Amino acid sequence: MIRTEHLTKIYRMGGAEVYALHDVNLEIQDGEFVAIVGPSGSGKSTLLNMIGCLDKPTSGSVFIDGVDTAWLSDNELAEIRREKIGFVFQQYNLVHTLNALENVALPLFFAGMKREMRMEMAKEKLESVGLGDRLYHKPSELSGGQQQRVAIARALANDPEIIIGDEPTGNVDTTTGNAIMDMLEGLNKEGRTVIVVTHNIEIAARAGIRKRMRDGRVRD
Amino acid sequence: MKDAFLLVYRSIKERKARSTLTILGITVGIGAVIALISLGFGMQASITEQLIEMADVIMVTPGSAEFGSWGVVGSFTDRDLADVRRIGGVKDAVAMRGEMEDVEFRGEKLRIQVVGIDPRDIGAVFGTAIALQEDEGIAGRDLRENDRRACQIGYSIATDYFGEEIRVNDRLSINGSKFRVVGILAKQGGFRSEVDTSIYVTTRDSITMLDNKDISTIFVRVWDIGDAERIANEIEARIDENHKLDDFTSAMTMSGAIEQLGTIFGLLQVVLIALSSISLLVAAMGIMNTMLMAVMERTHEIGVMKAIGAKNRNILTLFLLEASVVSVIGGVCGCMLGVIAARAISFGIQTAFTVEIAAIVKPEVLLGGLAVAILVGILSGLYPARKAAKMSPVEAVRYG
Repeated sequence: MIRTEHLTKIYRMGGAEVYALHDVNLEIQDGEFVAIVGPSGSGKSTLLNMIGCLDKPTSGSVFIDGVDTAWLSDNELAEIRREKIGFVFQQYNLVHTLNALENVALPLFFAGMKREMRMEMAKEKLESVGLGDRLYHKPSELSGGQQQRVAIARALANDPEIIIGDEPTGNVDTTTGNAIMDMLEGLNKEGRTVIVVTHNIEIAARAGIRKRMRDGRVRD
Repeated sequence: MKDAFLLVYRSIKERKARSTLTILGITVGIGAVIALISLGFGMQASITEQLIEMADVIMVTPGSAEFGSWGVVGSFTDRDLADVRRIGGVKDAVAMRGEMEDVEFRGEKLRIQVVGIDPRDIGAVFGTAIALQEDEGIAGRDLRENDRRACQIGYSIATDYFGEEIRVNDRLSINGSKFRVVGILAKQGGFRSEVDTSIYVTTRDSITMLDNKDISTIFVRVWDIGDAERIANEIEARIDENHKLDDFTSAMTMSGAIEQLGTIFGLLQVVLIALSSISLLVAAMGIMNTMLMAVMERTHEIGVMKAIGAKNRNILTLFLLEASVVSVIGGVCGCMLGVIAARAISFGIQTAFTVEIAAIVKPEVLLGGLAVAILVGILSGLYPARKAAKMSPVEAVRYG
């Protein structure tokens, strides 16, 4: 379960304080599919980064499975990201010097898994997203949709409980976007918690729960 | 680990030109250090070897002159020479009367060291190493005791000093007196290069024609090299007593000279290393610059790696590994370049100056060079790597 309590994030911009998040209280149960929607600058990505342990709050707490991540060290946060969270970014964010297989195996490399095992698992994940025939292609040799599928395979590498997508369909056409959403839905049906941030109403409509954000606050 | 190397390899390969230049920087730095040290060792060895050839010689000079400086204070007398000859263990003692004189050849006048020596002693002093120069069929001859107004000249005097080359049977004017050149000495170079720039006349001519009565140096050969130190001390004591002065005489054995040379070369090596360290410093800055650029360029990638679970330590390791790989490659290339450069310079010196200076490449110098390369790599990679490791993942992901 993910829970935020009085979650606040303040950025300083030229002396002025900007509330990116303002006293956000939110609960996401295990296995929910949540879409966070809202205009640009409403704080949805910031919220996602907090839940994803990429960023630390100015005040308040983020509990993941009962652990308040606001107090954890960089390394402890890295461990949570590695074990519990899979990220899918709008820009795919693949390492462009590595091929698809190596990209998917990268989180397992940081987890300290043996090479043969890693490669075997990465191959499985790529096959599960329908890219079994693209294992040794570099990102530059793949289409946007294929790259995003590699990114999903990578997010799944560690078999995380939570999948976080920051505009995962933002860079692909509608058909591919739907295919990606099908995939995320499938992962949700397997029991994983899926949280996506999106502008797209249609995409958001496919999520079971929608949270609307404006000016750093959540308005259900 | 294999994959860490793979990541590093890909990253280096991606920035081929810059990585190559960085590697080249280290290569040149390490190469310069190794070449200079190897040549330094070679030079020391070659001079030491020449000195060992003369290991049974004690050079006696007035004034406690340090090796390398020839500040002459006073001179010796014939009585000193006779006393030295009487010391037990002395095989031979030879007096030299050296003075700078005006020497004229075909209208050109130069100041040259003219040495008065007993002709039969030349061999005793310099061994058999000094041969006569072949001069287009006229080999010339050695000085003879009953020669009058005859001289032997060093190789450089014959070939370089005057506008025209001096040949056997040519006439020189020394201090206004005419002397006939009876022989030209073969080129010596190295430690005996003084022979090349001197003119030798008989002791009698030196005294009578050039009014050069003072003995400037006594060369002593001993029967047993093991006795050299004792004899040297005895010579100093005996001559000091003759002149009623303390520290008037300096008798230097070649082993003493070798020791002093060791000190001088130690110093020379330090200077050489310091000089070549400058290029290493530049190389270090090159690595740091490359790595900083890499960190900046890959900020986004670092963020992604962190997002998918890389710890700070993982990132630090990757960047340090990259710096180390670059510096190891540079170090290995530098060792090779150093060996090649040292050999090339040694060959160049041999061809140009006919002085044999071997490039002595010691394995410990190569290992040291490699170690320094790695150290430089890691130290200059440390700051960029830490910077990368400490990056906030969210800011890094957002970057670019």
